[in-house]
Amino acid sequence: MLNNYFKEPWSYTTGAVVLAFLNTMLFIMVDKPWQITTGFTYWAAWIYQGLGGSPELWPYFAESSSRAQALTQGFFSNDLSLMDFGIIVGALLAVLLASQFKFKKIKSFKQFSAALLGGIIMGYGTRIAMGCNIGAFFSSIPSLSLGGWVFAVSAFLGAWVGGKVLIKYLL
Amino acid sequence: MAETRINCLYDNCPIPLLKAMQQLKKMSVGDTLVIETDHSCAMVNFIEWTQKNSIPCEIVEVDNGEWEIILRKVK
Repeated sequence: MLNNYFKEPWSYTTGAVVLAFLNTMLFIMVDKPWQITTGFTYWAAWIYQGLGGSPELWPYFAESSSRAQALTQGFFSNDLSLMDFGIIVGALLAVLLASQFKFKKIKSFKQFSAALLGGIIMGYGTRIAMGCNIGAFFSSIPSLSLGGWVFAVSAFLGAWVGGKVLIKYLL
Repeated sequence: MAETRINCLYDNCPIPLLKAMQQLKKMSVGDTLVIETDHSCAMVNFIEWTQKNSIPCEIVEVDNGEWEIILRKVK
């Protein structure tokens, strides 16, 4: 029975209820709902600082007190960074419990370049959209932000276009 | 009653399902299609799609994190 619990995919309803509960708990405990890509932005900024760069002078960080403060913190002291480690550790734990861990290879140069280009577009997109489908959608709508609904409509249109591109060029 | 295999290892969703849809169109009734995949989300969308279209579907975990999805073209 335990095996089924870890191996079989959970239903959308179970997933939605668990996510809503955990996000509420997170909001109560750290005063912030779940978000992902801002943490990644800090990771990149800290790495850049480590290499001798000064991202703290960029308007993106300088003009926001919380972002400026984040740059004085580190990988294990910033809450958004810890949330991202949580996702990676949690995903690893889930896949190990299901005994489905596996190193995946790159299939072709086309797949590699599409993934790289997709990653760059997504990363850039999250900064101008102020978040990804978690921060700007999943956490935004329960916070009664109109932005979350704008994001939902835009993501739907983007996914539709992305689907067409995928079928035409990548299949 | 031919059997066709498509290699969808390392492909992310929804590519395995899209490849299977394309391949099924080329096959004749009674033929079997085997999809090799290592993407666990494929289980969910294959089950949903085959149930909606009344296509017989069997899933076997052939190795840790690797599956064969076996479909039969019925119409």
